[in-house]
Amino acid sequence: MVWVLRFRFCFVLLFVLVLVLAFSFVSISCFGASSEDAFSAISDAEDRIVVCYRAVAEADRAGANVSSLSGVLNEAGWLLSRAKLAYSQGDFGSAVAYANECRSMLDGFVDEADGLRRDAEAAAHWDFMVNFVGSAVGAICIVAGGYALWVFLKRREK
Amino acid sequence: MSIKEYGLLYWIVVGVLALLVASPFLSRVLVYPRTEFFTELWILNADHRAEKYPFNITRNQNYTVYLGVGNRLGYCAYYTVQVKFRNQSQEAPTSFGPIENRSPSNLPSLFNVSAFVADEQVLEVPLTFSFDYVWDESLSKVNFLGLRLNGVWVNMTGYTVSWDPEISEFRGFLFFELWLHNSRADAFQYHGRFVSLRFNMTVA
Repeated sequence: MVWVLRFRFCFVLLFVLVLVLAFSFVSISCFGASSEDAFSAISDAEDRIVVCYRAVAEADRAGANVSSLSGVLNEAGWLLSRAKLAYSQGDFGSAVAYANECRSMLDGFVDEADGLRRDAEAAAHWDFMVNFVGSAVGAICIVAGGYALWVFLKRREK
Repeated sequence: MSIKEYGLLYWIVVGVLALLVASPFLSRVLVYPRTEFFTELWILNADHRAEKYPFNITRNQNYTVYLGVGNRLGYCAYYTVQVKFRNQSQEAPTSFGPIENRSPSNLPSLFNVSAFVADEQVLEVPLTFSFDYVWDESLSKVNFLGLRLNGVWVNMTGYTVSWDPEISEFRGFLFFELWLHNSRADAFQYHGRFVSLRFNMTVA
């Protein structure tokens, strides 16, 4: 009977210890952030946003529809603004949390933008070949063919 | 029947056919190039109209406006709208004259709203705001405590508006400056545009 009680006591003690350790870990990562941590997280998020913006700008230039991508960027920008505001108010934990949320929102973003850009470039190439080159060459062929047929019909008439 | 009798009709048919086939090519070649590159910035009331903007402000009451940005720059742009507040004695930014000569307000930004807008696209952001302030009756001024903008609390300690006896108002201005990201400099530059809301902070 005594060993059962000891076992239960040890189990509860271990459980409490694990809870305390887990809480300390969360506290350190979220609430115990220093000014430097927050500044670094915000700088990283800012850099990530600029990189993503450049990828979207390239996709837009290639003719891709970037409305969904710019929507994600706007949401990420809002989080970054909240991070900066929290930083300016001395709430470094929130600043780190918002900056990290902003960065994680942009995971895989550049690949997606690059994919859209490549698709748009392929479509633009095909569109150029058909609607620009094909159209011009087709019109020249019609005029040249019309002239050849005209000459042929005139010769046959003679 | 001679082929020459139908010559005119023949060449008209050939010409029309050639024009039809060449129309996609011509539609690209004969387009007048864009020569004006600019950004539109506007503010509308809660009914999407340019009238009846919030004016008489009650403490802690929510007001909604729509802030719009239209990109006609020829490329996807990264803007930041700086939300600022000023009283009558503080200078407003400038938005006339050559764009490089226009200057922003030297007041600090309360909050920045990022806006990524593709070329020829428009972004409209709903902004719901309320002010918290106290009336200092002895000094005849309103002391601000904070601004709540889309659920975000912004500290406004130190901001005041004084009583203007000529117009019988506690007059203040919430204004939105447009800044554009310059990729070469990797920095934001004032884009020479701002919109402003004029308020009378009511005290009861």
